[in-house]
Amino acid sequence: MANEFGLDYEQIEQKAKEIRKKIIMMNSRAGQGHTGADLSETDILSSLFFRILNTNKQHLSDPDRDRFILSKGHGVGGFYCMLAEAGYIDESDLETYLQFDSKLPGHPVRQKTPGVELNTGALGHGLPVGVGLALSAKMSGRKFRVFVLTGDGELQEGSVWEAAMCAAHFKLDNLIIIVDRNTLQLADRTEKIMALEPLTDKWKAFGCDVHETDGNDAAKFVETVEGLNLQNGKPHVVIAKTIKGKGVSFIEDQPAWHHKIPVGDEIALAIEELE
Amino acid sequence: MNTQEKIDLRDTMVQTLIEAVDQQINVAVAVSDSTSTAKIAPFQKKFPERLVNVGIAEQNLVGVATGLALGGYVVVTTNAAPFLVGRANEQVKNDVCYSQTNVKLVGLNAGVCYGPLASTHHAIDDLSIMRGFGNIQIFAPSDAVETREIFRYALRYNGPVYIRMDSAKFPTFHEEDYRFEPGKVDVLREGNAVTIIAVGSVVHEAMAAAQELAAQSFSAEVLNISSIRPLQPQRIIESLQKTKRVITVEEHSLHGGLGSIVSEIIADNGLQAISVRLGITEGQFSKAGPRDKIRAYYKIDKQGIVETARKMMGN
Repeated sequence: MANEFGLDYEQIEQKAKEIRKKIIMMNSRAGQGHTGADLSETDILSSLFFRILNTNKQHLSDPDRDRFILSKGHGVGGFYCMLAEAGYIDESDLETYLQFDSKLPGHPVRQKTPGVELNTGALGHGLPVGVGLALSAKMSGRKFRVFVLTGDGELQEGSVWEAAMCAAHFKLDNLIIIVDRNTLQLADRTEKIMALEPLTDKWKAFGCDVHETDGNDAAKFVETVEGLNLQNGKPHVVIAKTIKGKGVSFIEDQPAWHHKIPVGDEIALAIEELE
Repeated sequence: MNTQEKIDLRDTMVQTLIEAVDQQINVAVAVSDSTSTAKIAPFQKKFPERLVNVGIAEQNLVGVATGLALGGYVVVTTNAAPFLVGRANEQVKNDVCYSQTNVKLVGLNAGVCYGPLASTHHAIDDLSIMRGFGNIQIFAPSDAVETREIFRYALRYNGPVYIRMDSAKFPTFHEEDYRFEPGKVDVLREGNAVTIIAVGSVVHEAMAAAQELAAQSFSAEVLNISSIRPLQPQRIIESLQKTKRVITVEEHSLHGGLGSIVSEIIADNGLQAISVRLGITEGQFSKAGPRDKIRAYYKIDKQGIVETARKMMGN
């Protein structure tokens, strides 16, 4: 099983652009959403689903599929738009985002949306579950890999570090932790609210194989992930440096855009920037 | 079995887990340090590759258990109930219940098993907390046969289960051919003067009280609620319509446990019955000390139940 798209860097970036436009339109239509987080993670999701993961919509229950967990569940808008772009859900489903009992609630629900592996939204849950999944692969001799995308503010949750300790202890080199390092959390900058740095050193101290890369550059991100040594006996951490709100100048790097949505003229302006 | 020989319910649990693996059920057991609390050694010895110890980290325990379940295992977590339910509460809610993963949460030493170790170690809220979550089935065995049957069922059911376990040794009053049916009220004794409804190991106190009452010419009906969710209320309704008096007995807070369930059944069905709920006083932490003294204080022992019943009947 391989990735059915297998796109090159340029094509991944083109997909990311389409996803970003969908995010703007979907959030504006819904009247709610985490626009900053959605745009921050787009290049990471695009790289994973259009190149790296061996999954596709035909293999959603294949026990050997790579697993992806969106631990930063509030970034679900970007995830849904990627799922639509990749054909897991219909384009028209995006119109139901946040509506009563819809297929696309405000945080991921596995019973409702194909491609969702775990119901997240409360932070600090994805990594322990990812550790269990990676461990299950080791215990049962399966070859799949587990990718967990966390926010950076999320790393303030203690459960993340319980799981980090555990992943290293069990030598889970089939686990890839991607940190969407946009340096912003809901209230303000991470370093102002509760400092995370030196973040690389922290992960290393827990026994992980740590890499820093540009999370808004498909080529650099893919090269980093594809370059990981998955037989080194260590869980991998990719600190993907991103810009929250990436792609739209007036949304970029603004704490206020954590859960703001474009309104009025902002919508056309944002789309124009993304063309 | 129906024997006075006392059996530790955890031994039965572990034997049933071993039996399940032997029967090709893909069981994995996840613990947080406390292998001795679970008495899991025989399982660990036979299937070391199926036991995961994550250390003292309950949140991670439940998350890892969820991941193992998503990876195809039937996962059993065995951990002291106060920490499993309390420390890992949000993981229980979201990863297990909300995500509907195939995890069997076993809350060991529930109630006031840890008597003198005091309220950090007491779990008198686990039933009310679990009842607050969707998607999860909730059971509490009272003896070895029932423990075996509940585990046999739970390991074959695909979805979240909470099993409230006691750590002490108990005689067995279920026959060897007893088969657990989720939802079914377990009638241990028929009578018409008063209905005593109990859950978990205090069922033994209820049965002893019923025997004492019989010696005093009062016939008590004893219902064992080992299946808290699902629960078919019909047999409880019939009993209350007959006796018009009910005593609920639980080693749990009066908030949200068995007494609450029976009160809800009375209210929902417009039953005319006098009820007394015996349990830990609502809004308080449980007293600490030897377990028998705690039980006596809250009248959830044989003597307390007998006194309560006699008072209800005007004696």
